[in-house]
Amino acid sequence: MSRALVPALVATLFIVGVQLVVLTNLRVAGVVVMAVWLWPLAVGLSGSTALGLIVAGVGGLCVDAHAITPFGLTAVVGGAVAWVAARLGREGVGDLDSAAWWVTPILGAIFGLLAPALYVVLGAVVLNFSLWRGSVLDAMWVNALAFAVFARPLARLGRVVTRLSPAMRR
Amino acid sequence: MASDRAKRRAWTLGVSATLVATLLYLTVGVESGVRSAINLVVSPFSWTVNEIARPVGHLFAGAINYSDVVAQNQRLRYELGKAQTALNQTWAMQRQLQQMTTQLHVPFVGSLPVVAAQVTTLAPTSFAATVDISVGRENGVLAGMPVVANGGLVGTVISTTPHGATVRLITDANSTIGVTYANSSTSIVLSGHGLNNAMGASSVALTSAIRPGTVLFTDGLRGGLYPLGLPVARVTHVNLTPGATTYDVGVAPTANLADLFYVDVVLWEPST
Repeated sequence: MSRALVPALVATLFIVGVQLVVLTNLRVAGVVVMAVWLWPLAVGLSGSTALGLIVAGVGGLCVDAHAITPFGLTAVVGGAVAWVAARLGREGVGDLDSAAWWVTPILGAIFGLLAPALYVVLGAVVLNFSLWRGSVLDAMWVNALAFAVFARPLARLGRVVTRLSPAMRR
Repeated sequence: MASDRAKRRAWTLGVSATLVATLLYLTVGVESGVRSAINLVVSPFSWTVNEIARPVGHLFAGAINYSDVVAQNQRLRYELGKAQTALNQTWAMQRQLQQMTTQLHVPFVGSLPVVAAQVTTLAPTSFAATVDISVGRENGVLAGMPVVANGGLVGTVISTTPHGATVRLITDANSTIGVTYANSSTSIVLSGHGLNNAMGASSVALTSAIRPGTVLFTDGLRGGLYPLGLPVARVTHVNLTPGATTYDVGVAPTANLADLFYVDVVLWEPST
């Protein structure tokens, strides 16, 4: 994991850059696609829980530093995504080599659908009730669509960047 | 040996972290300090991505939208000419109104200084309607100051750095604005419903002579958050539910929030 940490962190910071510069301006139905949640999903599916949590934390905090929403909330949601994805990854679900090609996009769509909802629910937990008044449903379907499309390419990128083979999974 | 080294490393890290945390707390506060530190780390990556993405984006935009850009440019020139004409026509009226409002001891936005700013970043998520602008404390911008552009009120400054500020847009779910309209003493509270949703007001009295097309201005009440007379929104529809004793009013911002590139920060503090 330590060997993969530095390239994963560098890639995470670039993903944050893409999030802040490109995706923020490239809205679909007014919704920002949350690459900082898709990236932990991709890394998590490679099977490394720790690495997934680290990239989720770093990416989430970097985005939270630019937003007025509760600080750390994006990181927590990313962490949850990474943790669940890593559990699935260890079981071989969504593995790019052995699983059917459509499994990763389906997983992406499910995570993309649930992550914004989780964000709003956790926002209510920290007493921020304004999040649900935004376009939660729009955020859910747009992210589901985007995650479905980009989950597989990003999972492949994640595997290249982290250099984690199934034998190295911990 | 290895364990001693690990202990020393842990101690050094712990002491360094404590010193940094203390320094941040004493200078700018922990959360603000963390945000500043993260911005410092992320900015080179954002800059790199921007340098790569911008030419690619311009290439596609130029190839696809060239005729639209030409048409838009012609339309803007026409509208600029119309606005110039209108400005000349209303100059005398504005002067008279300014004199009257000065006599009434109410703030008049036309006499308030403004600072022009460039919009640098939109909100990075869909859950808050904010923009970052290129002026901050060094330019006299403080939290609470109103921001105007494109024909009306855009939002309020909610936080500042020495060279930047964050503006909460009027469509944000946390925005509430006291407004009124011409020849009326009725005050209405508008609230934002999120980035993609229309603003609205409920519990508007049936006696209000409000109708679609009515322009709503900040009411400038004493102790209010905005000076008097900033155009905020135009009424789009008025709903009266059968049996209800009040109207529900839907409004659209007079400012075009979709194309914010430059804004003016009104150097006016609440309760001044």
